[in-house]
Amino acid sequence: MKSLIVLLILNIMLWQTSFSQGAKDTINIESVEIVAKKIPAAYKTTKLDSSSISESTKLSDLLQEHSPIFIKTYGSGSLATVSFRGTGASHTSVLWNDISLNSPMNGQIDFSLYPTLFFDDAELHHGASGLIDGNGSLGGSVNLSNNPVFNKGLNGSVQQSIGSFSSYITSVKIGYSNKDWLTETQLYYNSSKNNFEYINIALQDKPVLTQNRAELQQYGFQQAIYRNLKNGNIGVRLWYFNSDRMLPSTMQTSLNDENQQDESLRTLIEWNGLIGNLKYKWVTAFLKDELIYSNTLSKINAKNNIYLINSKILTKYYLKYNFVLTNDASIKYEAVKADGYDAEHNRYNNTWLLGLSKNFKRLNIDAFNRFTQVGENTQLLSPNGGISYGFFKHNQLKLKANAGINYNYPTFNDLCWNPGGNPNLNPERAEMTEFGINYIQKVNQTLLEIEATGFYSYVYDWIIWQPTSTGIWSPSNLKEVENKGIELSLKLKTIINKTSVIANANYSNTFSTNLKGQSEFDNSIDKQLIYVPFHKMNYSIRLLYNTFSLSYNYSYTGKRFMSTDNNWYLPANFISNIGLSKKFKTSNNSNVSTSFKINNLFNQDYQSIAWRPMPGRNYLFTLTFQLN
Amino acid sequence: MRFFVTISFLLLLISCSKEELGPQCIDCIEEDTDTEYADVLIVNEGNFGFGNGSISLYKPSNQIASQNIFQQSNTTPLGDVIQSITQFNNKAYIVVNNSNKVEVVDINNFNSIATISGFNSPRYFLAINNNKAYVSDLYANSIQIVDLTNNIISGNISIAGWTEELLLHNDTVYVCDMTNDNIIIINPLNNTLIDSVKVGRQPSSIVKDQNNKLWILCDGGFNETNPTLIKYNPQTRTIEATFVFPNITESPNGLTINATGNQLYFINSSIYTMNINDALLPTTPFVSSTNNNFYGLGIDPINEEVYISDAIDFVQNGVIFRYSNSGNLIHQFNSGIIPGDFLFIK
Repeated sequence: MKSLIVLLILNIMLWQTSFSQGAKDTINIESVEIVAKKIPAAYKTTKLDSSSISESTKLSDLLQEHSPIFIKTYGSGSLATVSFRGTGASHTSVLWNDISLNSPMNGQIDFSLYPTLFFDDAELHHGASGLIDGNGSLGGSVNLSNNPVFNKGLNGSVQQSIGSFSSYITSVKIGYSNKDWLTETQLYYNSSKNNFEYINIALQDKPVLTQNRAELQQYGFQQAIYRNLKNGNIGVRLWYFNSDRMLPSTMQTSLNDENQQDESLRTLIEWNGLIGNLKYKWVTAFLKDELIYSNTLSKINAKNNIYLINSKILTKYYLKYNFVLTNDASIKYEAVKADGYDAEHNRYNNTWLLGLSKNFKRLNIDAFNRFTQVGENTQLLSPNGGISYGFFKHNQLKLKANAGINYNYPTFNDLCWNPGGNPNLNPERAEMTEFGINYIQKVNQTLLEIEATGFYSYVYDWIIWQPTSTGIWSPSNLKEVENKGIELSLKLKTIINKTSVIANANYSNTFSTNLKGQSEFDNSIDKQLIYVPFHKMNYSIRLLYNTFSLSYNYSYTGKRFMSTDNNWYLPANFISNIGLSKKFKTSNNSNVSTSFKINNLFNQDYQSIAWRPMPGRNYLFTLTFQLN
Repeated sequence: MRFFVTISFLLLLISCSKEELGPQCIDCIEEDTDTEYADVLIVNEGNFGFGNGSISLYKPSNQIASQNIFQQSNTTPLGDVIQSITQFNNKAYIVVNNSNKVEVVDINNFNSIATISGFNSPRYFLAINNNKAYVSDLYANSIQIVDLTNNIISGNISIAGWTEELLLHNDTVYVCDMTNDNIIIINPLNNTLIDSVKVGRQPSSIVKDQNNKLWILCDGGFNETNPTLIKYNPQTRTIEATFVFPNITESPNGLTINATGNQLYFINSSIYTMNINDALLPTTPFVSSTNNNFYGLGIDPINEEVYISDAIDFVQNGVIFRYSNSGNLIHQFNSGIIPGDFLFIK
């Protein structure tokens, strides 16, 4: 495993050179490259490190604490949506082994429903690099992937966490692989009463109350079986997840009885391989999501069923003179049966990406075009292109630039919601560009990576839901939005006095402004979009000494506006988490570790969304048995 | 390493320097929260779940508007989705829909007197006498009876559906029943249903004219039927006239009448006015909408000036237009988010 990480880092550093020496260099580099790097160097990507992934229980926490993406959360365990580079919740795609998981109903993902147990790698593709993954990623995309490793023998772990507010998390991972076969099973169970105390600042005398309707129970499993082939592998994966939550109200509502149940079944079959100079992946997935929302007070009991069938062929052909031809085709069938629609709706969402890149010793140039057909809407042209140039002996310093156009198609809710759906919507169109500088330095045992990126994007026909003169909420292409900003990241790995130090820091500065007014009285022009912070910063430091590990994470979220005229805002918050763990070796290939984590160390009273209380200082104790 | 420690320390210092908890309003600076006769109160709904509803106070004499006066007077926010306001016995009864309550304040200084809680989704308040009031409701399937002496809910009258505006005339209560397209007639002495009258689809607002005839505006639902304006004689319990709007896509609302009781006003994208003796619906607007989102309407009982609110994009402070009754713009000013209801202090 360790050698794989080293290989990964090496691969990232030597990405260009490995290709400039020819594609058939070593199979090892190639096989890692399959999962590690599919985006050319000209684009900004962020790979989240594996210890951050395993330390965060849920994808929402992982992104909030370790990435520049802003997470809006309605409370502990409640709905969590994202804003990536100032865009809306439906502008970030989430892909699992190259299959998009976004709901075709609203284009969104509830990030609180994705425990990190179910994936091995997580990588963010910022801005135009999200375009290479598919249409709709106006902000970028989040790529989750599983990483099957053959010839590992029996391996696995059993983990039990007990935390504040009667929180219990059980995760089990069992795997076995020889040189031909691999099987992998993950089991997950999480329940919490979530009955934390908070100060209700909306009431007279600001009483301390207990959150009384935020219970949740979630469980799921994932099963994979892979067969190693001569030049690749073939495998199937089945992922089931079930969530049952109470939806707590705001501090200003006394009566409430809302519940939400989500049930997802995701299956895929994938075939990765290499024939001569052609690297290919074929993946076909079937996804079924069911969401049941009930509200006894308003007598709503709504059931939504989503069915997705997606088949993709992703190929890279390594040609002469270091040309690489990318040819990705995807056929997707989307169907939705929802109580909010007058009938069942379905459509095809097909795309074809064709790209060519050329790798010189220092220079890397690429150009792509995506052809898309969504329903009756055909888009022949959505191009992007990038260029990067390396300096110094090993290209340690890299300058990058890219630009592209991407489209986000109206969702089924936008088109078909009854009443209010608007079948005449245009797709949202984003024109984006970025410029970046990346520096990697490796001296002895120290690895330092610094990256600075400036981005600019202009989104036309931004869809907004608003009441019409009939009093019914309806979407239309109302806004034009300009997103611009800076992203800074720093990674440091070193060893000081036998102590390994791993530090990661991210900062993003985002100006996301509406440029189109609805009338002469519209005060939202040139103002920041609601719930997009100007500043977001986080860093984590992990110290590893002997069998001890100490980690500290700090995340700062700046002021967010709640009204489009920027008259109302939520103040900034700064949350610190600290964790300590100790490993005990129990045999040659097994160990037991205990860890203790304090979340919201300074007991800050804060809200991520207006009037939704968040838990104060809380504790999590974890016991893990691991077999390597 | 030192860099991180320094940064985190600095940020900790910032966190200690200024304590702001929860949503903050920038322009809600107090001008004046004391009210007097002829002042105008504007109810700003706020966004559902955002808890940013408020009351604005406008003084027509000096044209000064004060924002968020409930919070200024009581330090706590008013609540989530402010539906309506009614003056009774020197008190204002503010119906806070999604906070399931009615706030009772002193009309003179807006100090909170009581909170009547336990509603489901309250809409409008109607005082019957010094001891009793009715509150209509979206989801409760009943009208709540409020004991005004103790400020508690004392009972309810079952009605199968969504009830909207209420009107008291001649010791009888008339209620708009949106679900069943009825005007429900209630005897408030014993809280019993007397009768129900079929009107048009979704009757939302009801007013009384100078001849003691009731006017009911039915919005027609969402493209279900053509909207109608109905003239009803409560004495004979008969519909005297039905004015049908020409387009099924129209959705007129906010029927209001002047103090004299002879001139009707309503919103139908633009603002229209109609004399009670007119034979046809008006075709020329009183104020035309030019990309406005007109949302609320109020007529000053003293000088018959017309106040119109524009919710703009529904997520920012709205604009109030004050017109003379001949249709000239006198003043325009900002209120809070989604201004919907007006109260002219008596």
